[in-house]
Amino acid sequence: MNPTGSLCANNWARSSSLVPPGNGLQTNLSLDPSSFFGVGIETPFKEINQPSPTQCVIPGESKKDVKITDQETSKLQDWDPSAMLNNLSFLEEKIHQLQDVVHMIVNKKFQPFEQPRELVTQEQQLITADLTSIIVQLISTAGSLLPSVRNTVANTSPLIGQLSQLRGINLPFGTGTSSGIQPQNNCENKLFDHSIQNDVPNKCEMEQNHNMEEHEHKDEEDMEEGENLPPGSYEILQLEKEEILAPHTHFCTICGKGFKRDANLRMHMRGHGDEYKTPAALAKPHKETGSEPKLIKRYSCPYGGCKRNKDHKKFQPLKTILCVKNHYKRTHCDKSYTCSRCHTKKFSVIADLKTHEKHCGKDKWLCSCGTTFSRKDKLFGHIALFQGHTPAIPLEENKGLAEPPDRCDAKENSTMVGSMNFCFGSNPSSENGIDNMMDVKGNIDDPINYFSSLNFEGCNFGAFNEFSQPPFEDSDSSFSFLMSGSFNYAPKSGGESCSDNL
Amino acid sequence: MNPTKPRCNFNSPSLFRSLTKPKSTQIQNINILFFIFIYLFIELMLSESVFCLLTEDLLIRILDRVNSDRKSLRLVCKEFHRVESTTRKTIRILRIEFLLGLLQKYCNIESLDLSVCPRIDDGAVSVLLSHGSVNWTRRIKRLVLSRATGLGYVGLEMLIRACPLLEAVDVSHCCGYGDREASALSCAVRLRELNMDKCLGVTDIGLAKIAVGCSKLESLSLKWCLEISDLGIDLLSKKCLELKFLDVSYLKVTSESLRSIASLLKLEVFIMVGCYLVDDVGLRFLEKGCPLLKAIDVSRCNCVSPSGLLSVISGHEGLEQMDARYCLSELSAPLINGLKNLNHLNIIRINGVRVSDFILQIIGTNCKSLVELGLSKCIGVTNMGIMQVVSGCGNLKTLDLTCCRSITDVAISTIANSCPNLACLKLESCDMVTEVGLYQLGLSCLMLEELDLTDCSGVNDIALKYISRCSELVRLKLGLCTNISDIGLAHIACNCTKLTELDLYRCVRIGDDGLAALATGCNKLTMLNLSYCNRMTDTGLKCISNLGELSDLELRAIPNITSIGIKAVAINCKRLANLDLKHCEKINDSGFWALAFYAQNLLQINMSYCNVSDHVLCLLMSNLKRLQDAKLVHLTNVTVQGLELALRSCCGRIKKVKLQSSLRFSISSEILETFNARGCKIRWD
Repeated sequence: MNPTGSLCANNWARSSSLVPPGNGLQTNLSLDPSSFFGVGIETPFKEINQPSPTQCVIPGESKKDVKITDQETSKLQDWDPSAMLNNLSFLEEKIHQLQDVVHMIVNKKFQPFEQPRELVTQEQQLITADLTSIIVQLISTAGSLLPSVRNTVANTSPLIGQLSQLRGINLPFGTGTSSGIQPQNNCENKLFDHSIQNDVPNKCEMEQNHNMEEHEHKDEEDMEEGENLPPGSYEILQLEKEEILAPHTHFCTICGKGFKRDANLRMHMRGHGDEYKTPAALAKPHKETGSEPKLIKRYSCPYGGCKRNKDHKKFQPLKTILCVKNHYKRTHCDKSYTCSRCHTKKFSVIADLKTHEKHCGKDKWLCSCGTTFSRKDKLFGHIALFQGHTPAIPLEENKGLAEPPDRCDAKENSTMVGSMNFCFGSNPSSENGIDNMMDVKGNIDDPINYFSSLNFEGCNFGAFNEFSQPPFEDSDSSFSFLMSGSFNYAPKSGGESCSDNL
Repeated sequence: MNPTKPRCNFNSPSLFRSLTKPKSTQIQNINILFFIFIYLFIELMLSESVFCLLTEDLLIRILDRVNSDRKSLRLVCKEFHRVESTTRKTIRILRIEFLLGLLQKYCNIESLDLSVCPRIDDGAVSVLLSHGSVNWTRRIKRLVLSRATGLGYVGLEMLIRACPLLEAVDVSHCCGYGDREASALSCAVRLRELNMDKCLGVTDIGLAKIAVGCSKLESLSLKWCLEISDLGIDLLSKKCLELKFLDVSYLKVTSESLRSIASLLKLEVFIMVGCYLVDDVGLRFLEKGCPLLKAIDVSRCNCVSPSGLLSVISGHEGLEQMDARYCLSELSAPLINGLKNLNHLNIIRINGVRVSDFILQIIGTNCKSLVELGLSKCIGVTNMGIMQVVSGCGNLKTLDLTCCRSITDVAISTIANSCPNLACLKLESCDMVTEVGLYQLGLSCLMLEELDLTDCSGVNDIALKYISRCSELVRLKLGLCTNISDIGLAHIACNCTKLTELDLYRCVRIGDDGLAALATGCNKLTMLNLSYCNRMTDTGLKCISNLGELSDLELRAIPNITSIGIKAVAINCKRLANLDLKHCEKINDSGFWALAFYAQNLLQINMSYCNVSDHVLCLLMSNLKRLQDAKLVHLTNVTVQGLELALRSCCGRIKKVKLQSSLRFSISSEILETFNARGCKIRWD
């Protein structure tokens, strides 16, 4: 088992750790975007998977492992029966859980009150998503078996042939390279992705999809003309994860101090002795070797299954180290930088956060589902696409008297209630997950209700009181039948004249 | 679409006509005395209350027969009153004082009209809804909240949520309404009809709310919702597929909107008056779309050319109504050819277009079923053209020839002979029309209900004598006809007893005698304009005060009327709602006192340039509980303090005030803010 396998299971563990009813799976999946990409999060399943020595890199040794050969990776394909057993028992558990959910739905149908339609469809979609993931897991479990079988039995068994065919259809399968499980992880991601896109989207998913699009887009920008290079014409370098994430790339061999730039390191070296002060030592080292023909350097992402990983079938190299860094952080890392204005958007690259903060708050077009748009036409396209979504109307500054404290933030930051609500929903505490989810859903179904419930208590009646008794008001308050006595206006005649128009 | 109901086509004496008229109209004319008479008669004969024996079913059936005059019937006896209360479906509230009581009494109403009821605001609504058993909202299907500017989005939402069956809402002319109110409206999921004319604050966002919330919408009017753009219309066309009627007049939408609208398969009526950004490209989208389109209005769309209109026509041969007022300079030959195919065309209005005899001939020979023809301000309308068009269109009921100055008596005679069913004829500024033409009109067009002879200097007393033979006349406009006198008016008064609207603006030879005749003859008058009839005095005004049905009275700049006359009007004309006394400088405080005490139904008053004092102004403004609109410009005897006091006293209910612009900074800003908050509009003159 390699890390990707464990990550795959990681997704599993997360999805199944929740109580099945409601939108548990969905919530959870969409809650933690990083789990999609399977970036190393400690999971209960980790011990099942046998971490392979090559992948579990010790920081110090990382430089040696820049290139991973095919031979090394092929070692991974040893079959581990205990892991297999674990996987199977886990699958069993999962199927039981799913059974429970279906039972619940069946029971609900006999209940007197009808469920909202959206809820039912959502549940159906959930079940399909679960089933899909079970199938995928099953295949991946079988797949872990496959390469070893293939080595020994060499494709004679028809069953295995079918299996491999199945895999061939579903997965972008790099034949014989790296681990067999990597592509499955990829596949699973895709499947989840699809199921989510088909879902009644809620804020989280939308966010998720947006983010992903964003990253892909950025990656492509990184690429530019690099794609045109023929496969053999460049040297592929693959930095290790730790190296990529390290703040400094240039370290002093004497004192160990790290620097961002080589030039700074060379300046630093001068302090370690006169031999570093020569013009030759201070000059750029590349210039000396510039005369000999050099291969163009391109970089590979160390994350298995990634399109930027050199083992990927449609491998697209990254152009510079900076590209590698940004790509790795954006795609395979936690988004640890949260926007201080909206408290919603998260980024893994600080530059992205800064770019976002420049525009944050300008996304004034808000849907009832909480998604914001910078352009009105985008919002309207969104509303036209999704049933039941309406544009949200921001609360007025002076009308939010009765707002609960948690929502004050949202107001101050000129975001709207919907998005704040999303924050609630995305609170990853698993027990509240379901309730929160329902909350979000309620909001989607009936955003107006949401707004009005805020407004009814404080402001309006306050306003009414304020106006109904202006200082100079004459005696007729809204419903008084008393006419001021001094005028000879008889209510009776008034009644008549009133009925005239009936 | 077709405003005039089909009516039996008898060119015969009035007696016969009255017999063939529908029953309800006949019964309408019988007054309460008649009912009481029948009631007493039956009671005498049977010596017991027969109506106690009748089942409720039978009583309801009787009531159904007397649709129009239920008020009289209600007053006959308790039984009738009870049955009437339970079967009443519509109610129009004039005063908030009675609102709750009426709603409890009439618990089966389906239509509630609060458009003229003052003080409808969020608080009032919450009180209404929270009061005991809220039964009245159960069956409400239609809410008329036009000009209910005091109502905010909270109240609106409460009201709409309380009415589960709501199908139609009218919030037209609530200028302050915006997206929040639209959002409140979108709670009505069963809504099929919505009028949002002049809800100035509604943007695409609000429209989107409604489009998503009220997907069953069939009729939507967005006239003057100036903030709405293509995006909103596009979304509307995607979400509300049931739309049959759509009005996007004066919106800043482009041809792109028409692309979206063309996808509405059920659209029958499409009105886009004054959409100056829409051009032929947009109309071409309609050629292929909207298969059921029956009526289109492209009036004042400056970018529309005949070829664009032709594409609409060629795509919809079943078109029944076409309005193209003031958008084309002339009709092109292909368009005229296109008109030939429109055999179902009922109404065509091409005001302001240059026409020729040939075009009118084409219309006359092809559009045989034409009911209404509008040629107002058309250039090139000649006697010949009119003769050709009317000879073909014998079913014409409405003919608008406003400002077709070259037509003469010959044309009028032909019209009269060819169109016996004519109900409405507009001849404003047709100077060449004289008694000769009108003679024929009085002879043939006995169904005439509306006649506009404003500014026709050829009209004299003899002409009025001929016209008076049209005894069905309901509306008659004689403004600026300076040649008519009391004698002519007396002819009208004697014969046209059904007259409800009469315009005598600047008929300077009209005096008290004519008005005396009018008051005895035309006692159904509801609207009377006597502005600048400077010969009339208090005597005439006292005569007018006998018109019990009078609701609109304009007495602008009549120098001789005083408080005595106004007092008579105030006391006797109980229904008086609109009164214009501008420049009536002889009316003093006692006249306004009388108005303040007696004219309790007054809705709108213009007392600019009048001699009213602080004290009486305050009294008037505070005591008239229905007052919605007051014009208070140049009140020389009123101080700023007095005016402030008066404004304060009515600030809860008034919706519109016109004040002198010089007072803009003298009046305390607090009052102005309060007015603003209550949805009252201040116009500075």
